Amino acid sequence: MWKEKHPDQPLRWPDGIRLPILVSVHHQSEEATCPFPDGQPDPFDYGERQYGARRGAWRLLEILGKHGVRGTWLICGATLEKYPEVSRAVKQAGHCIAGHTYAHEVMCNFPPHTELGLIKKTVSAFEDLLGEHIQGWRTCFASHNTIDLILEHFDFEWDGSMWNDDLPYIIEGHGRQVLQIPFANYSDTALGVDITSPSNPPTRYSTWNANPPDFQFRGLKSAFDALYERGAERAVMMPLVAHDFITGRPFRAKVLDDFIAYAKQFEGVVFAGHDQLASWWKNLYAA
Amino acid sequence: MAIEIKSRTDHVRWPGGVRLPVVLTFEHQSGEGAPLFPGDRPNYMVGGTMQYGARRGIWNILELLDKYQIKATFFVCGTTAEKYPDAVQAAQKSGHEIAGMSYSFESVRTSSTDRERSIIRRSVQVLEGITGARIQGWRCPDYRISPQTHDILAEEGFAWDSSMLNDDLPYLFDCGARRLVEIPFSTSTADKTYIGYPYPQRGGPDGLANVWNNEFEVLYGESERSPRFLILSLQTWATGRPAPLRILRQFLDRLVGHEEFWFARCGDISKWWLEHTESRGS
Repeated sequence: MWKEKHPDQPLRWPDGIRLPILVSVHHQSEEATCPFPDGQPDPFDYGERQYGARRGAWRLLEILGKHGVRGTWLICGATLEKYPEVSRAVKQAGHCIAGHTYAHEVMCNFPPHTELGLIKKTVSAFEDLLGEHIQGWRTCFASHNTIDLILEHFDFEWDGSMWNDDLPYIIEGHGRQVLQIPFANYSDTALGVDITSPSNPPTRYSTWNANPPDFQFRGLKSAFDALYERGAERAVMMPLVAHDFITGRPFRAKVLDDFIAYAKQFEGVVFAGHDQLASWWKNLYAA
Repeated sequence: MAIEIKSRTDHVRWPGGVRLPVVLTFEHQSGEGAPLFPGDRPNYMVGGTMQYGARRGIWNILELLDKYQIKATFFVCGTTAEKYPDAVQAAQKSGHEIAGMSYSFESVRTSSTDRERSIIRRSVQVLEGITGARIQGWRCPDYRISPQTHDILAEEGFAWDSSMLNDDLPYLFDCGARRLVEIPFSTSTADKTYIGYPYPQRGGPDGLANVWNNEFEVLYGESERSPRFLILSLQTWATGRPAPLRILRQFLDRLVGHEEFWFARCGDISKWWLEHTESRGS
């Protein structure tokens, strides 16, 4: 059991920050490949996704590096095990690193003990292969147990699994607190491709129903413009999601590249990792 | 079982002063790949849309490529070649590479080795009968290989395959005694993704131009530091229509006449890649 704590008055970010942009790269490669009814992975879906670790993640890392942007890399345990060189380069570049389930499991399909085991397995993979004790977590398909498990069994400082608010909020339970940093639909899965077509199971990657890159850019720009305007009055944030296998393709990578170039012209815009945002929030509460 | 050969590729340079090869691949069928309504009833909306490619689209495309003196690769479904041999012969006569894409749009993902081999052999025979030339390359029509596809292709004497979607550069498969070059592509930049079926289109022809221009600009930039190539998967039934064809023409207008770009056929890429990654001696 847990309860939420929201600030009782509007907050402002420190240091004249008007709009923090949280670039989350989902480094999951082929983990969410949808199997056929015979249990075998779809080779087409698998290949389009495997591009993520083979090429896409490297391209995104390069673009962030070019702009001097620090982001958050949400990495699946299995992806880390199969392609450790990518995660090592991400760590080397100084990005915030967090867990993104073991093999992109749809956690709401599992009982709590299975979910707990998968989170533990992922945490261990980061410790063993990367020497990293992760402080953050995101599962795209959370279960009703996810928050309780995180509070009771782990020492994560933040979770980013919820889609339900404009700003972070504190979740209190099991004798401790975790900061929820919700995400939003400023994402390549919402703007670029159709990943939840009703004719497909929820995680099948349908490249057949895609928007062109200028549509994706306009979606990001209109979200940015609205948030920047609103940021003059109160704290706002822009959680932006890019998948290695979606935005990592050349023509979509340019959307991220162009968007960062656009956004960073504005005064008070900062690019931050989830860990930075969590520490600001903690200080605001302490003040 | 075919095993991917991991090798460093940063040293590979394209022939002459070429900076970025451009590989146009046209997939050619006449409705064999159209889904049927339940009870195997025909779907003329989709099937007929695809048949357009064999009746008109390919001729429109050949005219454009001839005018620009561009060589491309055509993946031809066996039954389409049987039904419409003239266009396949015309394509070959213009210097395009003819490659295989199933006999009749069979999905081989779960096929037995014998069945898959017989489909490949039949396709080879049909296309050889029509063009007089033995095909060297293959693409699975639904982009879904079986565990044995690469091995069968190598055993049957193929030089290359282009069914994979997972990389920016060609790579090699070790298939026992033989090597097979893989030339990956993506459906993410494919014409049918944006202008495909007669259902609501996302992006339309202008969106497609947007995709190709972005893809080109990023790969062109990266090709300064590492080898890259631009490959597009196009349907004769999609890009063969007047509006997308005009988009292709405008895209080609950016590239033709510049020595930095090489309109290569898959066979050209395969040959170069095999020679220049093998000679490294690691």
